[in-house]
Amino acid sequence: MSKGVLVDLTKCIGCGSCTVACKLYNDNKFEKDSPAIGENPKLTDENWTIVTAKKTEKDGQPVWRYVKQQCLHCEHPACASACFAKAFQKTEEGPVIYYPHLCVGCRYCMLACPFDIPKYQWEKSFPLVTKCQMCSGKVAKGEAPACVSVCPTNVMTFGERDEILALAKKTIESDSKYVKHIYGEKEAGGTDWIYISDVPFEQLGFRTDVTTTPLPEYSHSFLKYTPYVIVGWGSLLTGMYLYTKRRNKIAQEEKKDVHL
Amino acid sequence: MDKQKARSTEMTRRGFLKMFGSLGLVGATATLAGCSKEPMGGKGWLPQQYQAASSYPSQVRGRVPIDPNNPSIMRDDEKCILCGQCLEVCEKVQTVFGHYELPVKDEVICVNCGQCTLWCPTAAITEKDDTARVLEAIEDPDTVVVVQTAPATRVGLGEEFGLPAGSWVEGKQVAALKKLGFDYVFDTNFSADLTIMEEGTELINRITKKSKAPLPQFTSCSPGWVKFCEYYYPDLLEHMSSAKSPQQMLGALIKTYFAKEKNIDPKKIFSVSIMPCTAKKFECSRPEMNDAGLHHGDETMRDVDAVLTVRELARMIKNKGIDLNKLPEEKYDQLMGTGSGAGLIFGATGGVMEAAVRTAYFVLTKQDVPEGLLNLKPVRGLEGVKEASLDIPGVGTLRIAVAHGLSNARKLMDEVRRGESPYHFIEIMCCPGGCISGGGQPRTALPPSNEVREKRIASLYAKDASYKLRLSHENPEILALYEKYLEHPISHLAHELLHTEYTSRGDKLTAKGSKLG
Ligand code: SF4
Ligand code: SF4
Ligand code: SF4
Ligand code: SF4
Ligand code: SF4
Repeated sequence: MSKGVLVDLTKCIGCGSCTVACKLYNDNKFEKDSPAIGENPKLTDENWTIVTAKKTEKDGQPVWRYVKQQCLHCEHPACASACFAKAFQKTEEGPVIYYPHLCVGCRYCMLACPFDIPKYQWEKSFPLVTKCQMCSGKVAKGEAPACVSVCPTNVMTFGERDEILALAKKTIESDSKYVKHIYGEKEAGGTDWIYISDVPFEQLGFRTDVTTTPLPEYSHSFLKYTPYVIVGWGSLLTGMYLYTKRRNKIAQEEKKDVHL
Repeated sequence: MDKQKARSTEMTRRGFLKMFGSLGLVGATATLAGCSKEPMGGKGWLPQQYQAASSYPSQVRGRVPIDPNNPSIMRDDEKCILCGQCLEVCEKVQTVFGHYELPVKDEVICVNCGQCTLWCPTAAITEKDDTARVLEAIEDPDTVVVVQTAPATRVGLGEEFGLPAGSWVEGKQVAALKKLGFDYVFDTNFSADLTIMEEGTELINRITKKSKAPLPQFTSCSPGWVKFCEYYYPDLLEHMSSAKSPQQMLGALIKTYFAKEKNIDPKKIFSVSIMPCTAKKFECSRPEMNDAGLHHGDETMRDVDAVLTVRELARMIKNKGIDLNKLPEEKYDQLMGTGSGAGLIFGATGGVMEAAVRTAYFVLTKQDVPEGLLNLKPVRGLEGVKEASLDIPGVGTLRIAVAHGLSNARKLMDEVRRGESPYHFIEIMCCPGGCISGGGQPRTALPPSNEVREKRIASLYAKDASYKLRLSHENPEILALYEKYLEHPISHLAHELLHTEYTSRGDKLTAKGSKLG
């Protein structure tokens, strides 16, 4: 059975404990110029999770909401479909994990992910792809992921995906403040991390235009997210390489990240 | 152009395929990962309480939220070990965190008390550092830098220089400030005496029904407490004394009275205060704290330009290579440098009450203050809530109560809210022990201990007992101030410069267990 995490955004106070726990547990660096919390944090190779302070509105009143982002651990992960080296694998317990020793550095996973999660270690001489591993080692031992366990307001509930989905349904049905949408129930064919909120997800920067069709395993249908690339392996490889390079350059120049 | 592009494309492709073909990258990444076939991640550590199998949350977990624009405190994430201590003090001792409903509204709820800076084991949370701004002002030859020192600073600073808790370093602190280049050094004890005159008169007006404001009257000198009341008890703000805190009174006078007496352009004055408190940084930035500015027709002028905690002052002294222990004792500058014992004990819980009662007794009875009021035992010490009834001849019984630490304040406030409070006057200090253990004091015990608190308190009371001048209304500089400038307590000018209004912050949160706000 697949594990999952329900994130109730109405409870988040933006303390950032989760981002610190992730760095402590995974031995990731703190970088002064790319904070993991605040109004404009970025997912990077060292920030596997971030909490964005969103100054938005609810019922005409200004409200602040905090959005924790990390890999959603798709049930049918496009990143894994795209990776012909099988460096990305979906485990039985739920986590979509990454094996550095299998990675060839092509970065197709980065193109394939509809949520723009995998990040490349651009600064390293032997770069790898990085992303939240859902603390697969902890989950395998029956422990909650690091970020989940430190949250002072219990924003996150760790459990069997079907159980947390049922909890999410019950919560939004029994309390009128919630929007009637469980993000991740259907997005990208269903994800193991699911979200509920009292403010519409679009307002919080969630990408709401992702397909709800499951991405069939290893079908390479991830190409639908990269329409500029001409099909055909030879030109595809080159094209994608240049594309990612250009994208990186653009990203670095603009210093901005895209959607969830 | 096109050719060049094509070539570079080809080269890139060749490079890419070569990397692929030679397995160089695969080999390299395998080396990097220590030839391990394990998935990425999990190579670090977590505090033990987070390592139990199960998804039951541990009791102490996570940390307080801190707004990046908080004027009082900040945090270095890299030093945070998620020990949960900041949250513990904020929630259990100060009853701020965890006492509002989620979701949040549109601010991070914090009363700026800085107790978390005293509890954080790694000092990840610290005061917001304002020393650079102060040094800049000192270095500018056109700026007159005036500084004031709060009562509790003189029994704290020494601890940063290896002295035992509670060591008395008043004169050395003045000497250090002069050595650092401050032009005038005044004493907040002076304006504590002034607070007694204004706040005491206000209390008498409430008791004698000269004023319509309700009883009990609350003290207003602790900015963390004031903000707490604005958040959680906005319905009781009418009880809050309109008198500003001693820091803000002195700030307003430095740019008016002092400027006039010394013939200095108030625009050239940079006013600094040394405080045992991080909430004072917030207080001086409150928009309405510009009364000297309004008086001079320049609303951008602040009454107090910068607040430094005792810890920041200690850093400045150490950075200049000054050894506090070797300095001679120096005296405060005249005009606003004399404080009574009553002003001094403002630094301890119960001290404001005792000081106020001494003067109120005299004003109401015109008789000498009896010995018992010079050692008002029932309001001294570290008990969370203290109370006393005093018989004032010809007037009746004055009922008073004192609380320190905001969880204790709640007990008295809930009573007032229910309409069951028997008191005339209530003193609240935001921090446990009062200002001597404020969020800007040295980290002498971790977390702060009652032993250290008691030593600092004992030091204040011992000095008070040794003073000849123990009554605010006998302070000659206070009398001179009224004579030369303010005329009398709550005069028109006193009202303009020394009194203030409060803002309900009830709409910034939904308090738990209450429909108010
Ligand atoms: S969110 Fe992206 S990286 Fe995570 S499992 Fe889904 S496709 Fe892969
Ligand atoms: S699940 Fe683990 S790896 Fe993923 S964001 Fe949380 S702490 Fe980081
Ligand atoms: S630890 Fe919890 S409350 Fe704090 S930022 Fe993360 S999700 Fe939000
Ligand atoms: S300053 Fe006080 S109120 Fe603010 S977070 Fe720290 S302990 Fe809580
Ligand atoms: S007390 Fe300090 S180290 Fe502990 S959780 Fe709070 S900020 Fe982190």
